[in-house]
Amino acid sequence: MLKSTIARLAVMLFVLTLLAAGCAKKPATEEAAVTEQSTQMEQQQPAGVEEQAVTDTGYDAAAVARKAERDAAKGLEPIHFDFDQYVLTETAKSTLVNNAGLLRAAPAVKILIEGHCDERGSDEYNLALGEKRALATKNYLVSLGVVVERMSTISYGEEMPIDPAHNKAAWTKNRRANFKVKR
Amino acid sequence: MKYFKASFFIIMTLYLLCSTAFAARIEISAPGEQTIPLALTRLLPMGVGGAHPAVATEFQQVLLGDLELSGLFDMTNPASFLSDAGKLGLRRTEIDFYQWRMLGSEALIKGGYSITAGKLTIELRLFDVITQRLLTGRRYVGKVTDVRKIAHTFADQILKSLTGEKGPFSTKIAYISKRTGHKELYLMDVDGYKPIRMTNHRSIVLNPDFSPTRKELIFTSYKKGNPDLYRKEIYTGQESRLSLKSGLNIGGRYSPDGREIALTLSKDKNSEIYLLGTDGTIHRRLTNHYSIDVDPSWSPKGNKIAFVSDRRGNPNIFIVDIHSREVTRLTFEGKYNATPAWNPKGGRIAYSRMDDGIFNIFTIRENGTDERQLTFGSGNKEHPRWSPDGRFLIYSNDLGGNGKSIWIMRADGTGAKRISAHGGNDSHPAWSHRW
Repeated sequence: MLKSTIARLAVMLFVLTLLAAGCAKKPATEEAAVTEQSTQMEQQQPAGVEEQAVTDTGYDAAAVARKAERDAAKGLEPIHFDFDQYVLTETAKSTLVNNAGLLRAAPAVKILIEGHCDERGSDEYNLALGEKRALATKNYLVSLGVVVERMSTISYGEEMPIDPAHNKAAWTKNRRANFKVKR
Repeated sequence: MKYFKASFFIIMTLYLLCSTAFAARIEISAPGEQTIPLALTRLLPMGVGGAHPAVATEFQQVLLGDLELSGLFDMTNPASFLSDAGKLGLRRTEIDFYQWRMLGSEALIKGGYSITAGKLTIELRLFDVITQRLLTGRRYVGKVTDVRKIAHTFADQILKSLTGEKGPFSTKIAYISKRTGHKELYLMDVDGYKPIRMTNHRSIVLNPDFSPTRKELIFTSYKKGNPDLYRKEIYTGQESRLSLKSGLNIGGRYSPDGREIALTLSKDKNSEIYLLGTDGTIHRRLTNHYSIDVDPSWSPKGNKIAFVSDRRGNPNIFIVDIHSREVTRLTFEGKYNATPAWNPKGGRIAYSRMDDGIFNIFTIRENGTDERQLTFGSGNKEHPRWSPDGRFLIYSNDLGGNGKSIWIMRADGTGAKRISAHGGNDSHPAWSHRW
């Protein structure tokens, strides 16, 4: 009897041990599974964000470039000259420093520099003078780091005044080099 | 008609014999200094064609305009004319020269016209009243619309007969007008009649010049963006680009023999004077200076070129020898001398000088002496160009604030008058050679 009781006890103990082992094991496996799942999700999550982030940076660069081009197109200020002169004035130089900054920020932009004169003087002489003004402007921009291949020049002499009046104010405005962004 | 044909040949012979009658009396290069009292009678109908008063009136008006412009004549007042003016008699023996002597006329023009089968015939005589001799006789046959052309051609003939040098009245003037809103090339008669637009570039067309040997013009146009040199055949309208170097291709001028073109190129980043062949290839470079060199104008012999340079500070006129390339300075007075034009008959160079912001026209001898101011007062007078006989100058003038117009005057600055209508902003005139 005792023997059978011991045997029963031993069986129960075995079963209990088995149960305990089974109980202890189950949650452990479940936990592991959960951890595994969450790790997988965490790994997927950052990968997805990163992908999107890459696209975001790409879009931004184009926009930044476009903005720089827009800024250059709008922001390139004309410069002005003294009568019968193509030497750059100090004011003209500081304007060109600003223009050069805009151009360096927008390296894809190509520009046409137009040289103009006021109506005084002979038409042919003024065509030559307008060209000297355009070239002086271009050379200064080159010295400020704008790539020479991005710039071309043309002289209109006195043919295209922005102010057709025949007075000093108009003449001052018309003696200029201005910038056109090429498409 | 037989009578006319026979008399025409007699007249031509007489013309050859007598054409120099007045020649010794008139200095060609100094019109206006000496005048001949001249009676110009109205054309009378001859033959069977009937009367066409409009023809006679137009002829009278055109011929009178030319004769007055020449400055060679003191016209007898038609109101004082006596009975001979109303008689068709064109033969020497049919004319009552005493009537004309009484009026103080020393020369007399008589003529008749007829229109038959759509053809206009005008027959004309110029007589020396004092010696009662025929100086020149001409018969012209053309279309009814050729009245003006005939009048101009006869005016040229009158000057030839009296001075030995043909007049320039039947030639053409090219110029630039902004009438359409764009600067385009135009052509008109010397008296400003019938401007015809030659280009439709809708851009900027500048600086025309006539070929001396062909009915052809060169000019600069921005049609393709860059100021390129173009050539255009006047009658066919055919056009091509002759020089399209990067930078300026401006101020093209045919050499007197028509074989080369002087112009300004700036392909090496500075304006210099070059000679091109008529195919557009560069023959040689004439100037080499960091300053501005523009506006070439040939000497009549074609061995020198006057041009504008600021190599000594302000714009002045210089002369370069095209063989030695030696440069001499021509003008020293004034602060801004530009657009030289060498008289095709030699002697003087015309140019435009800016003083106190106003351009006036001056001339100077080829050796730099005897500078003379031809125009005065307000109005910018620019771009002088000579007539082929060297008697007249055309130029642009913006007098009166109506923009520029083309004006004409005698070589001594007298007789100035506007020939192109206001409102076109007309500039850059060029005078054709014999048409």
